[in-house]
Amino acid sequence: MSTLTDLRIAAVGDIHLGEDVRGQYRKKLVGIEERADVFMLAGDLTRHGTLEEGKLVADELRGLPIPVVTVLGNHDYHSDLEHEIADELRDAGVIVLNDDGVVIQCGEHKLGVVGGKGFGGGFAGKCASEFGEREIKNFVSHTRGIAESWKMALKEMEADQRVVLSHYSPIKETLEGEPHEIYPFLGSYLLAEAVDTAGADLILHGHAHKGSEKGMTPGGIRVRNVALPVLGRAYAVYCLTCAESPSHDEHQH
Amino acid sequence: MEAPQYVAARVQQALAEDGRTHELGIRVDIRGDQLFLRGQVSGSEQRERLGQVAHETAPELHVHNEINVVEATEPGEDEHLD
Repeated sequence: MSTLTDLRIAAVGDIHLGEDVRGQYRKKLVGIEERADVFMLAGDLTRHGTLEEGKLVADELRGLPIPVVTVLGNHDYHSDLEHEIADELRDAGVIVLNDDGVVIQCGEHKLGVVGGKGFGGGFAGKCASEFGEREIKNFVSHTRGIAESWKMALKEMEADQRVVLSHYSPIKETLEGEPHEIYPFLGSYLLAEAVDTAGADLILHGHAHKGSEKGMTPGGIRVRNVALPVLGRAYAVYCLTCAESPSHDEHQH
Repeated sequence: MEAPQYVAARVQQALAEDGRTHELGIRVDIRGDQLFLRGQVSGSEQRERLGQVAHETAPELHVHNEINVVEATEPGEDEHLD
């Protein structure tokens, strides 16, 4: 007999921590293990992407009682120290995705997470294309390469539920509230197209502080903008329903 | 005299690019000799730095710092996606 259980995902983006708020965000995470099975961060953990800020974020996230998965955001790239910041986070036990995936064992369920920073370019019908100057081609091909990596990672992944974690947005709906003129810098439909092709249960992103929390891809995958200013709370919790069946016993660890 | 739109754009760029702030989402409006900053940041020190950078970039204008400091509240209700 199969029963239904929930896989609980706590999520936030754009926490933008700095020395002046050291320790304050950590206080909000007390008891997170009672509310969620995993904690996901959608990038922009720092303000300027300095190593000092990276270490501070690592300190804030160190030793949480549930798995922590993150991607970096554009702010975390600003000082060209994204690899060093990722290393600091990994040393603190945080899983940092960079256009790849991870499978986390949450109780009896395998939760697959694929993601990375993402990038911009705009949305179908009103977007940049790989044409003209080298700079524009580079811009678009950067996004296209990321989308392709996510699609491959999702297709190869074996998990009960699959979540995509991004900084940039895959859809326009969750940008509502932002000026339309900057949409091409906030995300790209190529990300949604890739995820719709490979399949996933939920997409989380940040970046758009004035956007809206809830949207959906053209393929019907739920999208949530978890940027802290959008949520207005320390993190959101999304529950994915898992059907428990005997076949779960066969999964390898 | 420089058109206020260009001054506002220069201030907004300074808020994004200055090493003290790097804040991208701040709205800058100029009316006469008054400059208004609006948006949300995570701490009061960041709000003060933004006001300072705006003042340094357009010292001839009177800066009204109307930026809100948003403190994240406790996590609320779960959402069930079924």
